[in-house]
Amino acid sequence: MSPGPRPEFVAEGYRVSRRPRWAERATSADHKDVGQILICGALGFLFIAAVELVLMRLQLLVPENTFLSPVGFNRMLSMYGATSIFLFALPFALGFFYYVAPLQIGARGTALPRLGQTGVALYVAGATVLYATFLFTPPEGGVNPLAPLSEKAFLSSNGIDAWVTGTGLATLGFVFLAINLVATLRMMRAPGMAWRRVPVFAWAATVSSWLLVVVGPVFLAALTMLMIDRHYEGIFFADGSGGAPLLWQHLSWIFFTGAYMLLLIFAFGANAEIVATFSRKPLFNRNVVMASLGAVAVLGTLAWMQNMLTAPIGIGWQYFAMLISVALVVPFGLILFNLIATLIGGTLRMRAPALFAIGAISMISIGLAAELEQSLVGAAWHLHNTTDATAATHFALIGGAIFGGFAALHYWFPKMTGRTMGESLGRISFWTIVAGLLLGFAPLFLAGDDKGQVVDAYKYFDNTGVTAYNVIATIGVLILFVGLLLTICNAIFSRTNGPAAGHDPWGGDTLEWFTLSPPEPHNFDVLPDVRSPQPLRDIREAIGHRTRREESAAARESQPVA
Amino acid sequence: MAPHSPGTDQISTLLWIGFVAAAILVIAVNVALFFAVRRFRSERGATPRRLLGGRGLQFRVGAVLTIFAALLFVLGVVFTGKARERPSTGEAGLASAKTEPLKIKATGQQWLWRYDYPNGAFSYYKLVVPVDTAVELELLSTDVVHTWNVNDLAPKADAVPGKAHKIAFSADDEGSYEGDSATLSGQAYAPMRTEVDVVSPAEYEEFTETQESEIEEAQDRVVKLYEEEKTP
Repeated sequence: MSPGPRPEFVAEGYRVSRRPRWAERATSADHKDVGQILICGALGFLFIAAVELVLMRLQLLVPENTFLSPVGFNRMLSMYGATSIFLFALPFALGFFYYVAPLQIGARGTALPRLGQTGVALYVAGATVLYATFLFTPPEGGVNPLAPLSEKAFLSSNGIDAWVTGTGLATLGFVFLAINLVATLRMMRAPGMAWRRVPVFAWAATVSSWLLVVVGPVFLAALTMLMIDRHYEGIFFADGSGGAPLLWQHLSWIFFTGAYMLLLIFAFGANAEIVATFSRKPLFNRNVVMASLGAVAVLGTLAWMQNMLTAPIGIGWQYFAMLISVALVVPFGLILFNLIATLIGGTLRMRAPALFAIGAISMISIGLAAELEQSLVGAAWHLHNTTDATAATHFALIGGAIFGGFAALHYWFPKMTGRTMGESLGRISFWTIVAGLLLGFAPLFLAGDDKGQVVDAYKYFDNTGVTAYNVIATIGVLILFVGLLLTICNAIFSRTNGPAAGHDPWGGDTLEWFTLSPPEPHNFDVLPDVRSPQPLRDIREAIGHRTRREESAAARESQPVA
Repeated sequence: MAPHSPGTDQISTLLWIGFVAAAILVIAVNVALFFAVRRFRSERGATPRRLLGGRGLQFRVGAVLTIFAALLFVLGVVFTGKARERPSTGEAGLASAKTEPLKIKATGQQWLWRYDYPNGAFSYYKLVVPVDTAVELELLSTDVVHTWNVNDLAPKADAVPGKAHKIAFSADDEGSYEGDSATLSGQAYAPMRTEVDVVSPAEYEEFTETQESEIEEAQDRVVKLYEEEKTP
């Protein structure tokens, strides 16, 4: 007996292109093209941000160094902050959401493709504005240029204006992308893809998009107010005439805290998929993980005043910030527990995506635990704005955006290009980044906690006893730089030369592995009925059952009749 | 840090509590992760099995985390409350500050700290306070946000223009304490440092009086030059 017809999911020779590939991609509103532009742009700016970090660390190699001028250091710091947050981390996370989430929910496109295309154009415009400042004066207000320092009276150069415009354009673009994701995930799920069956990463995309839709406009409002203050005699952040310098801190920290949480939600969403796939078992209590991701978005953003514990705000508000920050232990703890519980009992294949995902869990745990210590009000009166805070933020966000992001990159790279990234180079890069992060930032915990070394300072003094820490940190950041460069090179090289991957190289359970690699413009020819959170697993099981049934039938037939 | 005031003693304790809490979490997560990864690698013939008892286990983990968070919050409130307590002037302290704390203004300006004493004297860079005396420091700023940061003596606190911010401390030992600013305030932020000299009450009185008379003398000189129509 011959086996019955197998399901066919093939769509070949569909694309008819008249223009060169790059022109097609640059003008495309397709979510896969837009997502890839975001991811490529983000990796490019990761390199630039790493260069800026290395330059700052070289300035801090020895006490009272004169490698960079004070203004030069402040400019490097401002550009590093803007680049790593607005041009690397957020677009990196959004790029994966934008590429993968529509595929995961079985959508053939997005709900508002032109809005998303505008979003990526705004991101490119913002990046151009920020980097055009190297032709005149780069901004020098720091990572978050606190008013009134950012007012015209104190920084009159147009660097701050460029910072406001550049980050504003990029943020507006992210909000547009987020609106499209919200609409797509709401309206375009495949038949049977109820919310309870949505893959965790697509759920993380939903939560992150809503978060961005809420906190993005707050930041845009703050930027507009700063612009009015600077050029149209506004008084929003000017003291004495009815303005309030603290208002800027509230509005900007709402956004930055939200962005911080978004990056962690992205990392945990990707990790949940990767850990489950590589352990070959479903995520442990995925409903709890999904609820926790939602709780992180809400609680995390409400904890914005955790950044203002030394500011003159009421002690009641400080306790409120501490309460919310400490309460975050529960959702973060549950997510970490469930990720580890997924590993337990599984059969883990230690490929590069799994390696980076496990690295992300470890590094994020260090960063978040350190943040927890800083959220205790009294402890913050010592730790606030010390290098301890720098280290905590870098552990959490390098854990999230770089380890989590690189895990996602290795995991979905075959889907985007049809090729897998080099495995051994991935391993070397992973261990280099681990060593770089530990050496580059762990000493700063000690320098900040013990010696109280302050952040953002262009130099330090030998009698403060932090020289050794800073020397180690500089060496570590150089190693980190090499590690990042290895993965970027790996991605560039593997795009054309990597080993060919099929449509489902890892044995994934979600719908993006149901289509070709790379997918056709319309994503899917046919879609299966979704009956569980693991539609591909259902298909594999059905095929397995049928094959076994056919085999046993064949075996029965071939048995001699007694 | 080497705490030298009752407030920073409490802060130091809270730092240890926070450190222990953070260490517990980091060790728990990473040890569990290490053993999970070591033990459950793919092997030939191994099949994944589901972890049983999911719901009850999840509930227990959630409960433990909630208790942990609640405990940490309570400890945070208790020790922050202790660190905020207004110190009182002791036996060895300044006699005039027995009932009311000694009120000193600290004004941040790009890129220097100015201290104003009750008798009208002022000093730049260096603050002189009597030992074992309750000092109330009112932080002000004439331009941008600065953070006054003398780790060993007092909590870190922001000087925000147009918004008064009061902190209190009482130094328990004579000596010199280094400090700096902890919020980026422009070009010369890194060298915008300060120093607190804790001296005996008598030396403090002497310092403020000399400072006052010297300031008056200098002002008189300027006035005299002005009256004689000479450019100073």
